[in-house]
Amino acid sequence: MKYHSISKKIIFFVCLVFALIIIVPFLIILINSFKGAREAALFSLTLPKQVSFDNYQKTFQYSRILRGFGNSIVLSVGTVIFTNLFATMAAFVIQRQDDRLHKIIYIVFLMGLIIPISIIPTIRLMMLLKVHNTYVGIILYYVAINLPFTVFLFTGYMKSIPRELDEAVFIEGGSYFTLFSRIILPLLLTPLVTSTIIIMVNVWNDFMGPFYLISDSRKWTIILNVFNFVSMYQTNWGVLFAFMVMVITPVLIIYLLLQKYIISGLTAGSLKG
Amino acid sequence: MSKGYRQKYPYYFLVPGIVVFSIFFLIPMLSGFYYSLTDWNINVRKISFIGLDNFRELFSDVKLVTALKNSLIYAISVTVLRNFIGLALALLLNTKVRLQNLFRTTFFLPFVIAPMIIGYLFTVIYHPDFGVLNQGFRTIGLNMLAQDWLHDPKYALFSVIVVDVWRTSGFAMVIYLAGLQLIPSELLEAADIDGAGFGKKFTYVMFPLLIPSVTINIVLSLIGTIKVFEMILALTNGGPGYATEVLNTYIMSVFSIGLCGLGTAANTLLSFIIIIISMPVFFFLKRREIEL
Repeated sequence: MKYHSISKKIIFFVCLVFALIIIVPFLIILINSFKGAREAALFSLTLPKQVSFDNYQKTFQYSRILRGFGNSIVLSVGTVIFTNLFATMAAFVIQRQDDRLHKIIYIVFLMGLIIPISIIPTIRLMMLLKVHNTYVGIILYYVAINLPFTVFLFTGYMKSIPRELDEAVFIEGGSYFTLFSRIILPLLLTPLVTSTIIIMVNVWNDFMGPFYLISDSRKWTIILNVFNFVSMYQTNWGVLFAFMVMVITPVLIIYLLLQKYIISGLTAGSLKG
Repeated sequence: MSKGYRQKYPYYFLVPGIVVFSIFFLIPMLSGFYYSLTDWNINVRKISFIGLDNFRELFSDVKLVTALKNSLIYAISVTVLRNFIGLALALLLNTKVRLQNLFRTTFFLPFVIAPMIIGYLFTVIYHPDFGVLNQGFRTIGLNMLAQDWLHDPKYALFSVIVVDVWRTSGFAMVIYLAGLQLIPSELLEAADIDGAGFGKKFTYVMFPLLIPSVTINIVLSLIGTIKVFEMILALTNGGPGYATEVLNTYIMSVFSIGLCGLGTAANTLLSFIIIIISMPVFFFLKRREIEL
């Protein structure tokens, strides 16, 4: 089949072009992060005349960067734990107790997938509750905005866990707590991995939350630090590139190692719901 | 499955989720509807009800009207382009091309990177003198195409749209790929036996069965793009003039001068627009889905 082999080659070539369009911008950042200030400001794709790590060293002189990384980690880990816990608990009852009230609760959660948060009243309420500018406050805010998709994900998955298991636990004299912690949670492992990765990436990448909700610079996330860095030293491209590489790298590693879960998680719910 | 079986599952499992969701989402949303009708700003002690004045003020503000128009142009353009490119990429990768998985990983990659970082990345690509885009145009002799993409009001919005298409086409592709893989191969083989070419196969077999993927892609895209914020902030900060001002940058600018009631009213407007646009599209497409 000559025709087939030619069309295969064309398809391969087209894919290659698209792949380059994706990769080249990242390469520009990476290559130029190893150049001196003047050379880096030319944004060229040529390899550095001399590989230098100065830009990376300079990012550490910008004192908030380590704190920024620390804050982003604290916020993502905290959000992952509480979102997964609250969402699995809610999905467990919503899916099993299939009556009108629980359908309404489910729909109210799903509303969060469509309607954007009303950020200014959120700030006010957090001030009233004295959780403004606290880790607890921003973590709970993130839990709230990540609940809709996780409740949706887990409720969908709960359907595949047979009710007979519940009955078996009750016959053995087990409580709801036993059922949930010993049977349901372990069976939800696959969607838990998916939600963990997606929440982590969401929180790590988010700008709007910390921008409006954290005015205390010691609690800024890494993204907010990049934003602030750009407003302060707009012209120092080399250092900015180093900064960007450092922010992207953790997400990139997680993505390359666990992409199967990210992609399946994003598509699974969407097509069956 | 025992149908008559009725167990009462404990409601307290729902409590933490409902409490957090109420405090940090529902109450701000509902109180936001109220604050939209007040003169709340940082200079007054007492917040008082002023009816629809905020909305009157919004619609008489050129900046808001421009932001609204830009948000709509942005949402529709990104949605259309993202779906065309996403579908094309999915069809390419559905052919068992060499390095298929590597290509899929690459195309999806920008979607996991922070939009703010992508924004800064493209200020470099679009740089009028040294950006790779203009350098490329000059190298192949198309000097007239080398524009100041982000600072020329004629091109700024279009340039931002292109960045978002670049960022999210891989996401649309992944959903289309999943949809393509759900198409029973017997149907495609039957079409092959009947001598249908790719065009016919696509129009009469694949596309009708892909409508669920189209629905989810278009609705998610509309909801997401109307909310665009930090990419605009990183690329153009709403400028030049109001050329790339969108609803969320407008809300930010109003809030930063302390006009909380007005900002909340703009946020309410944003919510209504998302609902008004995404719901009809959703139901329109939903009716066209075919049950296999």
